[in-house]
Amino acid sequence: MTAVTAVAGRRRPRNRQALRLVVLVAIVAVVLYPLIWMLGTSVKSPTEIVNNIGLLPEEFTPGNYAEGWTNFDVSFGRFFLNSAMVSLLTVVGNALSCLLAAYALGRLRFRFRKAWFTVMIGTLLLPGHVLIVPQYILFRSLDLVGGDWPYLPLLIPHFLATEAFFVFLMVQFMRGIPRELDEAAKIDGASPYGVFRHVILPLSRPALVTTAIFSFIWTWNDFFRQLVFLSTLEDYTVPVALTLFIDSTSQSAVGPMFAMSVLSLLPVFLFFLAFQRMLVEGINTSGLKG
Amino acid sequence: MALTTAPGRSPRTGPVGPRPTRRGAGRARLGEGLAGYVFLSPWLIGLMGVTAIPMLLSLWLSFTDYDILTPLSEVRWVGLANYERMFTADPSYWHAVRVTLTFALVAVPLKLAAALGVALLLNRTWRGVGLFRGLFYLPSLLGGSVALAIVWVNMFNRDGAFNSFLALFGVEGLPWVADPDWALQTLMVLAIWQFGAPMVIFLAGLKQVPVELYEAASVDGAGTWRKFRAVTLPMLSPVIFFNLVLETIHGFQGFTAAFVLSNGTGGPVDSTLMYTLKLYISGFTDLEMGYASAMAWVFLLAIALITAVFFSTGRFWVHYSDGGDDS
Amino acid sequence: MHPATPPTAGAPAGRDHRTPLSRRRFVRGLAVVALAAPLALGAAGCGDDDAAGDGGPVKLSVFWWGGEARAKLTEDALALYTKKHPDVTFEKTWQANQGYFDKLATLTAGGNPPDLFQIDDNYLAEYAGRSTTLDLGSYRDSGKLDVSKFPKSLLEYGVVDGKLAGVAAGENTQGLVYNKTLLTRNGLPEPTTGMSWEEHIAWAEQVAKKTKVPGTQDPSADYKALWVWLRQQGKDLYQGKELGFTVEDVTTWFELWKGARDRGATPKPDVIHEGNSSDVTKQLVVTGKAATSWVWVNQMPDLKKNTKDELGVVAYPGDPSAQWARASMYWSVFKGSKHRDTAVDVINFLNNDPEAVALLGTDRGLPSNMDLRAKVSETVTDPAMKQSIQVESELAQKFGPSPQVPIKGHSKVKSELTKAAENAQYGRATPAQAAEQFVTACKAAIA
Repeated sequence: MTAVTAVAGRRRPRNRQALRLVVLVAIVAVVLYPLIWMLGTSVKSPTEIVNNIGLLPEEFTPGNYAEGWTNFDVSFGRFFLNSAMVSLLTVVGNALSCLLAAYALGRLRFRFRKAWFTVMIGTLLLPGHVLIVPQYILFRSLDLVGGDWPYLPLLIPHFLATEAFFVFLMVQFMRGIPRELDEAAKIDGASPYGVFRHVILPLSRPALVTTAIFSFIWTWNDFFRQLVFLSTLEDYTVPVALTLFIDSTSQSAVGPMFAMSVLSLLPVFLFFLAFQRMLVEGINTSGLKG
Repeated sequence: MALTTAPGRSPRTGPVGPRPTRRGAGRARLGEGLAGYVFLSPWLIGLMGVTAIPMLLSLWLSFTDYDILTPLSEVRWVGLANYERMFTADPSYWHAVRVTLTFALVAVPLKLAAALGVALLLNRTWRGVGLFRGLFYLPSLLGGSVALAIVWVNMFNRDGAFNSFLALFGVEGLPWVADPDWALQTLMVLAIWQFGAPMVIFLAGLKQVPVELYEAASVDGAGTWRKFRAVTLPMLSPVIFFNLVLETIHGFQGFTAAFVLSNGTGGPVDSTLMYTLKLYISGFTDLEMGYASAMAWVFLLAIALITAVFFSTGRFWVHYSDGGDDS
Repeated sequence: MHPATPPTAGAPAGRDHRTPLSRRRFVRGLAVVALAAPLALGAAGCGDDDAAGDGGPVKLSVFWWGGEARAKLTEDALALYTKKHPDVTFEKTWQANQGYFDKLATLTAGGNPPDLFQIDDNYLAEYAGRSTTLDLGSYRDSGKLDVSKFPKSLLEYGVVDGKLAGVAAGENTQGLVYNKTLLTRNGLPEPTTGMSWEEHIAWAEQVAKKTKVPGTQDPSADYKALWVWLRQQGKDLYQGKELGFTVEDVTTWFELWKGARDRGATPKPDVIHEGNSSDVTKQLVVTGKAATSWVWVNQMPDLKKNTKDELGVVAYPGDPSAQWARASMYWSVFKGSKHRDTAVDVINFLNNDPEAVALLGTDRGLPSNMDLRAKVSETVTDPAMKQSIQVESELAQKFGPSPQVPIKGHSKVKSELTKAAENAQYGRATPAQAAEQFVTACKAAIA
């Protein structure tokens, strides 16, 4: 990899690289402006939030962070832990179950495969809002709602590959893996399980990393399902807790809410930075070793 | 190398059947068929246990007057009444269809273009590229949070940041978010702004392109553009296809931005009444879940049609390294 | 639903005459197959005939919306109840108003709504009409629910179809909040209760000319303003199951405000749109984009937190007897609750126990119990709250009878009003066209 970069670097004129950097920085500045505004607002006082829409506060109010953190009977850290737990378990569930399903649908040959694939795509298409109530009824009838550990209805579906988005994603990625590798492994006597273990699994890293990133972030941000299935303050997750700051008909703690929103971006941002490294070390270095 | 050949399709005998191999065809086929179901089993259990029942339930409810509060055993079968109402007696339904089409037709291509463009810029390995990727992904991290609504309104209202920017050029801006003629456009900008997801998928896809292909192309004397056309695009096509299909579905389902920006109303004057927002309002605010379910199933059929078109045209431009199997 | 009844057989036979029997059978059959497992169990959750036996320990689920402040007060009051009744503990769920009714409806669908829940007049009729709420009439008659100190109209505002569906958790009424600082600084008069609509608009125009701040938010999209105005015209929002007004009434209403806009008394349409949000922080009187906002009197303290300016509050223009003692929100009991008696007793406690009422203060509105309201008023220290209590007490002398609780479809009527009024404000429709559009949509919504 380094060799390749070095070669590419030498060949390209320096000013062109600088130009690209300038372009990138310019785009980043525009793209990030709203977020910088958000950061500024997180240190504004209540009256300034309503009246000063500028980027910077006139009166620096970092107390919003402390206030937001301790605003509820339960420390905000608890919500972070709950969210982290749900998100990480979702990552594991999605990565495992969707990879298995994708291998079957994308790589193996069996009866009704095409039909199952179509059904899988079909499950992507129905707007989720009409499924909330039936799902709730279903999980409740299975006695999974509430209880000491109310996260089951949020997690079980992810261990059963119900998020077709990721199955489809992985199918598409697998189809980018040359079939010659499978054939070669088969000639060496590998079973479908062997092919999965020794060919598909190592080569699916970009897809797995992508799945991990999205699973984590989307779960971290998911509001509606978490709202419906979680009912005690101690169990609330970050997105649910964030809405607690704003009861539009009465009190609105916008400053603390912005402060916590900024904080809530940090874990996902770090998660992203950590995992995108693995994207960099994608297939072209792990190579076609098979 | 076989990979560099055009998206050729290997000849196959049956529609789904396994390709005949020379040795032990029968047993291998049986083994692979069994393995297929073994690997598929978690998904199948999920389908039967978690996905299918609510879906079928919603299909049934679409023929009833279900209002959420009435127990399922007491809902009344109303035949096609919900569907009839949708097509003949609800002008705001068709309005929502128009809004959604406009949104999807503009926002989806632009978002994909932005995602691919930035992904290409960030594909090279240089110091700090990871940080840049993270920064470009940051807007998407916000999702549909409460804060986002406040941020966006303050960017695009009369005295917002965007108008301050325009003022530098002596242009007097409009109250974009509050103007029925422009609110949808600010929604599109929001959707495009959150291009992080397809960008990451493009990046991952770009990483999957074997370096050997670029090296081979360089040896052949290909320039940047030629490499992009001859190597990157075809090799990336499965991922482009994925992003196109998913972003289209996502665009049509676009709910969060509209909900957040309009406070769940679709306003001003229904200008941001996306299909799924209309559906949500009908189902939860107006407690007409039967009607909402009918809308959802019409939506499913319409999107299925569009998706089917994508899949059928896909064979002409999507190149699969696995030998161009059926799609 | 009876737990022993098979779910799909529970449907009253012959209810749908339109479908041929065979198809109906077929569909029901399908439904049974698809739903058998979930429903059988789901149905078991809502058994409602074992409500008695409140002898042993009881865990009562309570659900409300609000902010952190309300949560603290409510939890304290409930803890006090547990202290006095050690057998009763609470499973408390609270959240912001965003998504509250979505969740409440979903819980109801799942057969496990909370025993005791907070609800408002937007949804009371919807829930009561579907027999989700317990009729509290017998408890009122037996005295287990003491409402003797309630204003009569406040109690009546919880009656739907002759059944007492909810008990006011607090009282509020419409209030016009104005920016006192701005007016004083410019030597302008403050608005007064009883000034006519024309006078209000003329005053607002004068404010706009002098201060460059539009004098009043245009409330034509606001159902509570329209409602007061209609009552002053001898009309109402609803009359039985029908609308209580005509296209002509709405046209006049929209024209009144078109006139105000033309005279520059109100802000531009996009600013009006901002202010049409129910969000406290977006009210134009606190964002400084207008001198007055149309809100509920008890929102004064929350408005005050968002501005440095002094605020004042009066009744909406016109005859104040068109206003009434409105339940800002209710407590209702789930009909299928196993602990209804306890739940009702808790409502009684929250409304009539001096200590509990003192704890709760005016967070949900003024206390419903008049004796205790007087006590609470004396102890209030927040100046903004003091002001709102004072104004509401003055108005209480002038309140007229309460209207009927808004009927099923009310949430749609509200959103249709906003849409029609904004159409007129943006100049996309004449007042007459907008009124026509609104009334047509309303008729469909409440049908």
